[in-house]
Amino acid sequence: MKKIEAIIKPFKLDDVKEALSEIGIYGMTVTEVNGYGRQKGHKEIYRGAEYVVDFVPKIKLEIVVTDDRLDETVETIRSATNSGKIGDGKIFVLPVEEAIRVRTGERGDDAI
Amino acid sequence: MDSPEAKILIEQKQELIDQYLQGQEFNFLEKMTTRLDEYFYRVFEKSIAARKMVISGNPFAIIALGGYGRKEQCIHSDIDLLILFDKAIPPDVEAFVQELLYPLWDARFEVGYAVRSINECIKMSFERFDVLTTVLDARFICGASLIYSEFMEKFRQQLSAKHLKPTLNYLYENGEKRLADFGDSTYLVSPDVKSGFGGLRDYHTLLWYAKIKSNIKTRRDLEYYGFLSHFEYENLEDALNYIWDVRNRLHYISQRKNDTLHFEHQAEVAGLMDYADTSGAPQVEVFLGELHEKMEFLKQIYQITFEDIVSTCRIKKETVASRPTKTDGLFVKKRRLYFANTVTIIQHPDLLLRIFLESGQTRIPLSIEARRVASEFRHLVDDEVRTDPACVKIFKRILGMSMWKFNVLNVMLSTGILAQFIPEFSSLVHKIQYNQYHLFPVDKHSIRCVQILNGFKYPDDTMMGSLYHSVFKEIRNKNVLLVAGLLHDIGKADPAKEHSRRGARIAGPVVDRLGFSPVEKEDILFLIENHLFLAKTATRRDIYDEETAVYTAHKIGKIRLLRMLFLITVADSKATGPKAWNDWTENLIKDLFFKTMSIIKTGELASKKTQRLIEKKKKDVLDLLRESWREEEVNRQLSAMSRRYLLYVSPQNIVEHINLFRNLGDREYIWQITKDNESDMRTVSICGKDKPGFYSKLAGVFFQNNIDIVGSQAYFLGDSYFLDIFNVRPPQDRLFEKEKWEKAGQDLSMALEDDHYLDNVLDKIPTEVTISSGSRPEDSQVRIDNETSSFFTIIEVLTYDFPGLLFAITNTLYRAGINVNVAMVATKVDQVIDVFYVRDIEGDQKIESEEKLNQIKNAIINRLPQMQSKEVMNEKN
Repeated sequence: MKKIEAIIKPFKLDDVKEALSEIGIYGMTVTEVNGYGRQKGHKEIYRGAEYVVDFVPKIKLEIVVTDDRLDETVETIRSATNSGKIGDGKIFVLPVEEAIRVRTGERGDDAI
Repeated sequence: MDSPEAKILIEQKQELIDQYLQGQEFNFLEKMTTRLDEYFYRVFEKSIAARKMVISGNPFAIIALGGYGRKEQCIHSDIDLLILFDKAIPPDVEAFVQELLYPLWDARFEVGYAVRSINECIKMSFERFDVLTTVLDARFICGASLIYSEFMEKFRQQLSAKHLKPTLNYLYENGEKRLADFGDSTYLVSPDVKSGFGGLRDYHTLLWYAKIKSNIKTRRDLEYYGFLSHFEYENLEDALNYIWDVRNRLHYISQRKNDTLHFEHQAEVAGLMDYADTSGAPQVEVFLGELHEKMEFLKQIYQITFEDIVSTCRIKKETVASRPTKTDGLFVKKRRLYFANTVTIIQHPDLLLRIFLESGQTRIPLSIEARRVASEFRHLVDDEVRTDPACVKIFKRILGMSMWKFNVLNVMLSTGILAQFIPEFSSLVHKIQYNQYHLFPVDKHSIRCVQILNGFKYPDDTMMGSLYHSVFKEIRNKNVLLVAGLLHDIGKADPAKEHSRRGARIAGPVVDRLGFSPVEKEDILFLIENHLFLAKTATRRDIYDEETAVYTAHKIGKIRLLRMLFLITVADSKATGPKAWNDWTENLIKDLFFKTMSIIKTGELASKKTQRLIEKKKKDVLDLLRESWREEEVNRQLSAMSRRYLLYVSPQNIVEHINLFRNLGDREYIWQITKDNESDMRTVSICGKDKPGFYSKLAGVFFQNNIDIVGSQAYFLGDSYFLDIFNVRPPQDRLFEKEKWEKAGQDLSMALEDDHYLDNVLDKIPTEVTISSGSRPEDSQVRIDNETSSFFTIIEVLTYDFPGLLFAITNTLYRAGINVNVAMVATKVDQVIDVFYVRDIEGDQKIESEEKLNQIKNAIINRLPQMQSKEVMNEKN
């Protein structure tokens, strides 16, 4: 099992959700996050006062998939979010030791 | 430990709960209290340890504190106990506590206890507010009653002698702190029925205040001592019984002391409270509506109490006698507003509005009687009142007085006067949207929205607060903003329909009655119809794309509308609840606001004139391509192009580009050279995949091949393509022109391959240029404008033309890590103004660092040759 963490642009969420459901992935955790990488915050000036935005608003997706579905899922996320520009985001893949469905107690791949 | 007494108590409690849940026991709180009292009697009677202490001259009293003291024991409420000694505390007390409390702990009762002497306890009471309030509720259970009475006497004496003011101050500050900690619980998705505002704590505060001030003994005394009127008292009883019922069921379901009515518990509690439709499904909306109404009442009572505490603490004592107000037909008594008599209301129905104005201005609340009277006579607010200019004016002033701490508009709503004055509003009253997102019924939400808008009146220390404040200050007609805020959800009565447009339609007649001018009306209806537009755009489109801001600017059009829409968006989201509003959303919306503002201010891309020009151009392009292209295909191409491009590029060139783009395929770029018959110039149209430095390399290749650039424009197409136009003079040698262009093409391919292919060309850029125009040349200038656009740093270069100029500038930019996104290069005789819209390659955003901007400026200046005039040359010669 692998956990995919993807940081994407907020307005791409619907596209990703749709693309993932097309390959049969329906479950995910979505969080509104702030951060910066190469795309930094910026400042705006209004009436002489500076308004600094330190962080760029992003969406974090978390999806746990079985190993055999990993590549397909990552590629789907990537192609749905890729515009060739800075700020498109990043995808991280982490190993998952165990998954347990709370209701039934099922473990491993069955719990995903 | 097996205790027969505890066993009896547990059995009794279970029996009581069963009866209560079956609806056979209406006095649970007091009965539960009595059962506990009985337990303590029994253990005390039988205790050897207790007897020992009494015999050895250490009598003591067992005293109930807090909620137990008030006889308000819910299923899993804490039991607060005080074991009070006259002076010394004997060691035997430990054995007694074991006998008394261990069985209760074993049975999972939440028992807290303290063992103190009288003096110790009094000292602590005035040191710690939480101790003081529990002592205020102290009630004797058993033991030596003299100790209890001596303690209470001493406590009262000290309280009135030296602690009255600080205690009231405590009460006041505690209220402020509670607001900060818990917020307003009325209408929360998960209301805290105890500690939140509108929770039981509001009633406790009133009770404590009355106990401190007048030493009242029970809740009933609140009316007898004049803290509440008869109506207020009856309403309070009603609200308390309801909330206790909810709390008991909540305790029962969660099997512990839990006072937060979580979302997932609501349906179950509603079911237990017998809220069910004909099919038996719980009617959660109805239940929540009623709960919120009761909590709202507690909050109102609290706010009146709060006013009283403030006036006792800070203002001179109010006389008991009534006094008239500025408004005829009203009077004030004990800091409450009353109608003088009902006959005057019939003669002057505008009093039904004026009382709210008076209340808002003086911050004196309406008495509960006045609320009842207003409600009963509300039918007098008829069409005549609704359209009377004086009344309309009063209403607008009331709107501006809707504030958090004293929201007169809420009272106007609860009396029904608001819905009577604006009948369209009545469809929203108590309209609950049961989901995790909307916390408030639509009527309350609308008023909160007005209240939040009014809050922007005051400066705020936070960055965002000061932004809202400064935007608010710039809005000239606040009434337009407030009325739009009040009516923005007026279309929500029908949940199935799209409410924004519907709302604008319903609001039309309201706005007419309120006497707004046609322009103001248009503004209000626009704001209502588009109140979701900014929030939607900010979250569903790429706000870092200039086109998004241009689209937004085009839709909104006017700066005053943008300002108002921004504040309404913020107020609407904040009034919806924490899920609709957080830093994250705030950042997105703020950014879109700034970016749109600069687009509207500049006027270049979103004005009506621009729109007309672009529409005309699109039509021309369609006409030109009609033969070879399908119309929808052309439209698709056109909609992908930036407005700046459509604005500045001629229809003929657009057609060239569309054709080029179609033929581009997988190639890096494709160009087309056309001959201009009239001026013997060549136009080179180039389309390709965007790559930093491309524009600079083009300029370099032209320079290398002695092709003289007269003008040039560069644009981007969508995310990853560019479209450039170069106006150039033909090569000197016309015979081999075709070959010359081929050579230039080869050089360009080499330059794209090898980043340093053009390095040797750099050396050919002249270091001195002689100006032919005669007059003394001005120094070259580089101006950097970082304010006009939110998306680009704009660099303007003013200088004289010379071969290689464009390459000199753009190569410098490229080497400094800057990408040219848009360029407009024009030569007039020999003077040149080149404008570049650039972004940092690394971060793909405008350049923020002052240091970097200066470096770029200097680098360009240093790259440009020395300018000399002919005269100077002549003098030298």
